Amino acid sequence: MTETILSVRDLTVAFDTRRGPLTAIDRVSFDIGRGEILGVVGESGAGKSVTGSAVIGLIDRPGRIAGGEIRLRGERIDNLSPEAMRRVRGRRIGMIFQDPLTSLDPLFRVGDQIVETLRTHTNLSAKAARTRAIDLLAEVGIPAPERRIDGYPHEFSGGMRQRVVIALALAAEPELIIADEPTTALDVSVQAQIITLLKRLCREHGTAVMLVTHDMGVIAEAADRVAVMYAGRVAEIGPVASVIAKPHHPYAVGLMGAIPTLSQEADRLSQIPGAMPRLTAIPKGCAFNPRCPKVFARCRVERPEPIPVDASRVACHLYDAAEQAA
Amino acid sequence: MSAYVEVTDLRRRFDVSKPWLNRVIEREPRKFLTAVDRVGFAIEKGETFAIVGESGSGKSTVARMVVGLLPPSAGEVTITGVSMTDPRQAAARRRLRSRIQMIFQDPYASMNPRWRVGKIIAEPIRAFDLIQGEGAIRARVSELLGLVGLHADDAKKYPHEFSGGQRQRVAIARALASQAEFLVGDEPTSALDVSVQAQILNLMRDLQDQLGLTYLFISHNLAVVRHMATRVGVMYLGRLVEVAAARDLFATPRHPYTRMLLDAVPDLAHVGRARVPVSGEIPNPIDPPSGCTFHPRCPLANDRCRAEVPALLDGVACHAVQEGRA
Repeated sequence: MTETILSVRDLTVAFDTRRGPLTAIDRVSFDIGRGEILGVVGESGAGKSVTGSAVIGLIDRPGRIAGGEIRLRGERIDNLSPEAMRRVRGRRIGMIFQDPLTSLDPLFRVGDQIVETLRTHTNLSAKAARTRAIDLLAEVGIPAPERRIDGYPHEFSGGMRQRVVIALALAAEPELIIADEPTTALDVSVQAQIITLLKRLCREHGTAVMLVTHDMGVIAEAADRVAVMYAGRVAEIGPVASVIAKPHHPYAVGLMGAIPTLSQEADRLSQIPGAMPRLTAIPKGCAFNPRCPKVFARCRVERPEPIPVDASRVACHLYDAAEQAA
Repeated sequence: MSAYVEVTDLRRRFDVSKPWLNRVIEREPRKFLTAVDRVGFAIEKGETFAIVGESGSGKSTVARMVVGLLPPSAGEVTITGVSMTDPRQAAARRRLRSRIQMIFQDPYASMNPRWRVGKIIAEPIRAFDLIQGEGAIRARVSELLGLVGLHADDAKKYPHEFSGGQRQRVAIARALASQAEFLVGDEPTSALDVSVQAQILNLMRDLQDQLGLTYLFISHNLAVVRHMATRVGVMYLGRLVEVAAARDLFATPRHPYTRMLLDAVPDLAHVGRARVPVSGEIPNPIDPPSGCTFHPRCPLANDRCRAEVPALLDGVACHAVQEGRA
C-alpha cells in the first residue's frame, strides 16, 4: 500500500449511562492509504457512523473515546483540544453527510458557504476564493457555475446539493474525506452520478475516503477495500472483490447471501436468524455467536482477534490455525 | 374471465395551488400536479405485480388508489370484478374490504404503541366480526403469530419490545388476520437492514405459496423487485413506461428509462466498475416536459418524442421502440 493517511488502532468509544458505560465501538483498527476508498459497511447499530464521528472528533457527550488512537499522517488527532481539532476538521478532514440540506445553511448562498470555508482554511483573498469556488462547482459537475454560485441551497435539486456538499468537503484540499451514507437520500440514477464523481475526485486529488454506508452495491462499485462491522467490531476487512465474492466471516457470508442482486435469480435469499444485539446485551465471546451457524464452544467464551486469511483479516475462531489443525 | 385486479386509465391530480388570496393578488392560476396519469394494468390471482420507480414517480399513489385509501381523479380499479369507486357497488365492496390489506414501509409508525401485539392483530378480526368468542380470537392470533415466525407468547408484548423486522412480521400477521388474499406492500422492506429484509422477503414468498396470496409490491429497489415479482411495471413521472414479465424485463429491458435504471443500480456483481453515469435528474412533476416526459434525458429522443405522449403499446410506451429505432 502507498502512504497511510489514516490509521486507527484499537479505537474504543463508550457512552456513559446511568447503568454504566455502553461500548459502541470495541477495539476497531484499520488503515486508509492515499487515494484509497475504504468502505465501512454494516447494518444499523453496527457502529459504522460512530466510527466516522470519532475520526472527525464529533463524538458528543455522553459518548467518549475510551481507548485506542487515531493518527492522521502519523500524527495523533484523538487527543487534540477542541480548538485544534476544529482546525483539522474542514482543513485536513472533509465531511459529506447523508442529507445535503442539513449540511448547507439555507440562509446563505452556496458560493458564500464555499468562500467561507476557503477563507477559514486557506489564505486566499476574497476574489481568489470566489474564483476557486466557481472552479470547484465546475469540478463537481454543476452546470453554469458562475451563475449557480449565487443560488441558495433550496434552488438546487437533491443531487446538485450533494455535489455542492462535495465541493465544500474538497474546498480546502483535505487529505481525508469521511462520507457517511452520501448517496442514501438520492434516487438510483443520481446516486450513480455521485458515486462516479466521488471516485474520480479522490483519484485525481489523492484523497483518502472513508465511505460509510449500509448499501453493499455502493461499496462494490466505489470502494477499494471494505470493512464489515458487526456490533461495534470489525468482523472482516479486506479487498472489496474478495470480501464480496468470497467472504470468510460467517456474518459476512450471511450478509452477502441476504442481498438480492440483479445479476442472478435466487429462489430464496439466505437469511441470518435473529437481529443485531443491543449495546446493553452484547454476547460474551464473539458478538455474532448466537446467530452464527458455525458456532462452537470457544466462540461463546473468547473474543476472536483479527487474523490474516488470504488477503483479508478475519475475526473468527474458525480460521485460527489451532482450530484448523484440530 | 377477467383478471383479479384490473386498473384502467387511472389518474390522480393533486391541487398544489397557492391559497385563494395569494392567487388573486399575484394573479396566478390554479396549479395541479398530475401524480398518476393514465395508468392501467392487471394482476392475475396468485401473482406478484411489482411497480418500480424513483421518488416522485407516483408508485405509492397508485398503491393507495388500488386499496381505496385515495379516490382516483379518473379511471377505475376493480378487484374480483367489484369496482372500488362505483357507489352502486358499495355493499359488494364492503364484503371485499376484509380481503384487501396493506403493509406499510415503516413498521414503527403503523402500529398503536399503546396496544399489545395481540390486540393489534385481533383488531381486523373484531372489526369485520370474523370470529366470535375471546378464546377463539386468541387461538387465531396465536396461529397467525406462528404463521409469521413469531411465538404465541409475543401477543402479550408491546410493539416497542420488537425489532424492526419482527414488527414487520406483526404487520403481516395483522394483514392476514382478516383472511386477506390481496396484499399491497408499499416499500415493505425499505426500512429494514439487509439480513432482516431477506427474512421478510422469504416470509412473504412462503406465505404466498402457502395461502395463494396475490401481491402488489411497490419498491424503488430493483434487486428486491427482481427477487419478488412475477411481472413488473416501471413508472416514470406518473406514467407507466414499461410492463413486462420480470424475467424479460431484467433480461431485455426495452424502454430507454428501464435500461438506464438497470444500468444505474449499484450491484454486488459490479466490483470496481467504471461507467458513464446517466445525466440529468427527474424533472419537477408540477411542470413536466412535453410529450414523452423522459425525452430530456433520453438518448433516442427526437421531435416526435418532444411533442407527442407515447401510448403503452405491447408493454412499452416509447416512440423509439415502436418505430424500431431502439
